Amino acid sequence: MTRSLDKTVADRPAGFERAAFDAFLETRDEPGWITDLRRKAFALYTERLAAPLDPEEFKRVDLRAFRPGDYRLSPPAAPSNSSAEFATLLADRAKFAGSVAHVDGSGTLAVLDEKLASQGVLFGDLTSLVRDHRAALEPHLMTRAVRPSTDRFSAWHAAFWTGGTVLYVPRNVQIDEPLHSLIGLSQSQGADLSHTLVVLEEGSSATLLEETASADANATGLHVGAVELLIGPEAALRYVQLQNWNPRTYHFAHQAGHVDRNGKLQWTVGGLGSRLAHIHQHVSLDGQGAEAQVNGVTFATDRQLISYYTQQTHNAPNTTSDLLYKEVLRDKARVVWRGMIKVEKAAQKTDGYQRSDALMLSPTCRCDSIPGLEILADDVRCTHGATAGRVDEEQIFYCMCRGLSRFEAMHLIVEGFFRTVYDRIPVEAVRETLSRTVERKLGIGR
Amino acid sequence: MSDFEQIATVDELPPGGRKPVVIDDTPALLLRVGDNFYAIEDVCTHDGQPLTDGPLTGCEITCPRHGARFDVRTGKPLCMPATEPVQTFEIQVRDKAVFARPRA
Repeated sequence: MTRSLDKTVADRPAGFERAAFDAFLETRDEPGWITDLRRKAFALYTERLAAPLDPEEFKRVDLRAFRPGDYRLSPPAAPSNSSAEFATLLADRAKFAGSVAHVDGSGTLAVLDEKLASQGVLFGDLTSLVRDHRAALEPHLMTRAVRPSTDRFSAWHAAFWTGGTVLYVPRNVQIDEPLHSLIGLSQSQGADLSHTLVVLEEGSSATLLEETASADANATGLHVGAVELLIGPEAALRYVQLQNWNPRTYHFAHQAGHVDRNGKLQWTVGGLGSRLAHIHQHVSLDGQGAEAQVNGVTFATDRQLISYYTQQTHNAPNTTSDLLYKEVLRDKARVVWRGMIKVEKAAQKTDGYQRSDALMLSPTCRCDSIPGLEILADDVRCTHGATAGRVDEEQIFYCMCRGLSRFEAMHLIVEGFFRTVYDRIPVEAVRETLSRTVERKLGIGR
Repeated sequence: MSDFEQIATVDELPPGGRKPVVIDDTPALLLRVGDNFYAIEDVCTHDGQPLTDGPLTGCEITCPRHGARFDVRTGKPLCMPATEPVQTFEIQVRDKAVFARPRA
């Protein structure tokens, strides 16, 4: 197999071994406390790498063809990097109060409405913000939501994180217009380990739309990411992440949201791209009256494997969580969804819901849906369920009788299947984008 | 259509030997039966788990978990619980080296 390597990348050690770590640290102009955290995480990573992966988790997520040594980190801000070359799904669809972009792990763009900046809102690149705003960010960075010690991938991320989008909203500041963040990969064999950190202080609100994209449809890539959403008391966050890598990218991520007293989190994920995606998505309701709504749309085709391990943890009384995933599969694609609602003893009067529906468009795809409950409190309402099924030939026949082609009929049925989750997404640009992308993947439309 | 990739040398595998490999980004199992080489996708079509350590009798490999059997020459399932064939790869042996690619 021939491999194209960019010159600026080729002279750096490949992979994520000790030599690569040392070379990586040399390129980072970072305060000592960050370097110390990285060193600790790297020791943890080395330790975890020697231990076998959890066989229960990874029996459905086959990593035998995945070789971390094939990928390498780009030097900071290689001059060819530009976010302009990405066919983004969202960037032109709405008016944004601010935009941040990362390409091959380096920040390439950071703009924020001046009015918001004067109110103390921080929105930009983690690498530079963590230097200037240590007091605001240090207590939150990989301490509460995503911990390096969770597993091999979280330790890996904590040692090598390359940058990422930070949103910090001070007390009682409301941001009405959405903010946009792009994570891109442009070079073959490139690795991105970006970290998204959102901190909403008491009574604030914001909407962040984030998307991932590859500039080159044939370039191999790797993303080992983390998302941390920390929602303070009475604060409200709407967060959308559309994963739209090319079909040769591996995507691993730990994503966690913590919601404090009467806070609200609405979290929408779109899993569309990648060769293999394995994501841990965790919402934790930590204060009385906290609410979380999780929406998932995944569409897997060809030989894609998309895996979501979701967890809803209720740590406080009177908390609500509501999760709805819709999955469409075609060709030889596989989707794994492992859902868990965990209710701690103190979390009385919890209302927890989880549901995953899968629609199989071909007989060769496979879906594993495993819902679960773990309840320690004795006065709760928890419901869960999963369905999987084929497209009903009679429905197609019905549509075709009314003059639609088979393709159009299929599209109508898929669109209708996703509709219940689209209806829960309040941002029109996101609804529209998802619908367009689904159309494209089905092979019709633009 | 992918090109042939070298996956082993002839000397690596004695008759009856096996080697887990990756062909075209797919985990596969290379098997030697007598002087013939066969490669199948290293996943049982019944439960989606590896066939790597399954016992090989003649040209039949048995899944170590539920006993499904496959013909390694054709990929055909030979007994329950498997009903779907396992993917096979095209093999070429040149100069003591074994090459493979997905079938057209």
